[in-house]
Amino acid sequence: MNTAGALVTAATPRVPLLDAASAPLTARRYFSDGDPGPIVAALASVPELLEVTLPFLSTVLSASALDARTKEIVIVRTSAVQECRYCIDAHSVVALDTGLTVAEVRTLSERSPASLPDEREAALLAWIDAVAGATGPVQDSVAARLGASYRDYEIVELTLLIGATMMLNRFCTALSLPTSTEVTMRLTEEGLV
Amino acid sequence: MTAIAEAVRAGELPGRVWMYSNYHCNLACSYCLTESAPKVSKRELTSEAMIGVAHDAADLGFTALGVTGGEPFLLPDMAHRLAELGSILPTVGLTNGTLFTGRRLDAAEELAGTDVALQISLDSADPDVNDAARGPENFAKVVAAIPALVERGVTVRIATTGQDPDAVAAARLCALHRDLGVPDEDHVVRPIINRGRAAEAGMGVDVTESDLPAELTVTADGAFWSPFGPTVVAGQLDTDLLLTRTTVPLRVPAQTLLGLLQGRPAGADSTLNIR
Repeated sequence: MNTAGALVTAATPRVPLLDAASAPLTARRYFSDGDPGPIVAALASVPELLEVTLPFLSTVLSASALDARTKEIVIVRTSAVQECRYCIDAHSVVALDTGLTVAEVRTLSERSPASLPDEREAALLAWIDAVAGATGPVQDSVAARLGASYRDYEIVELTLLIGATMMLNRFCTALSLPTSTEVTMRLTEEGLV
Repeated sequence: MTAIAEAVRAGELPGRVWMYSNYHCNLACSYCLTESAPKVSKRELTSEAMIGVAHDAADLGFTALGVTGGEPFLLPDMAHRLAELGSILPTVGLTNGTLFTGRRLDAAEELAGTDVALQISLDSADPDVNDAARGPENFAKVVAAIPALVERGVTVRIATTGQDPDAVAAARLCALHRDLGVPDEDHVVRPIINRGRAAEAGMGVDVTESDLPAELTVTADGAFWSPFGPTVVAGQLDTDLLLTRTTVPLRVPAQTLLGLLQGRPAGADSTLNIR
């Protein structure tokens, strides 16, 4: 992991980002409402992977048994631990729209250890940092603290969400996917750039 | 019976599977879909890959094969490959017909008596008109190769690519192919498609997938809807008619193609005589 501290701003994507005109047949529906974003535009080069990846990501990242605030805490914090500039930017906006404050988003998106005053969320952050920020086993104490605040099925979903976010983090970072102008403008307005 | 076989039998899915054996060519025709030329990336399918596709195609219920390029006969073992393919399913091999001299002509004798036809491009009975699109001396080489192949027992078809040939020119061309030993039923005429080099030159008819036969087409870059799909513009592969990058097993792109066809509105069939 890069621990140098400075996040690399994605400049030029390393793979073609397809548009509506170049989208393969089975990928076209993802472009019918306009620009679907660089993750879809990159995945569209391998349409059979897009076909299974997007429904998976959509199911894991969107509305579910977990509340939206908790899910965005997981996504933004995991992305910060993984130092994924694209994901931090994109989901900082989603987090703000979900109701997190600018201060909370700033705390979550820092590389250094983060905490939130609510014990349930603090336990979640410790779990995220242990899962996404290290390799090998997760300490029993961290798991026990999480288990005190979340039910088993919620832990399953939270952990899968961390893992799915890590997959996206590495995908977006390795391929240098660019943050959209709209997202950058919003983050600038909120003082998060 | 597989769903693919049922769809082929019902006429919902074309029975032919195409393979792009390679993308390089000794010619650089003005309307080439794939910008093929001597120096382009070869992007070859190996003989083993092609035979594997053929067996997969037969197992799935496809009924015919096609090989195109590039110029397939730049690959020295192409005649033998075609003969092997023809032993699996009836096969048509597209060629510009300019390489059939010496050893290549001798090698082509392996195709005599097989279930393989060579489809050779010839655009006009007027050498100047033909060669303007296909390159110097193309006409002379082709009209020498066709009877030489026919004499050796090879089945030859002729494909004419062009836009709105007048009746006189068409009649002269038909008289020529008959003289060369190719009957009318083995002469196909098709329009220039506005893709590849033709698009850059502003030639040809605009097409969408509904205008093109949904013939599963395997290339080194993936599987496509129709052999008119894996076109190249400015050195970049077009992906708009890409089905899947996966080509092995063949059922992966075949099922994708069938799914698209079965979701297509009724009546959305090819109307431009593109073959």
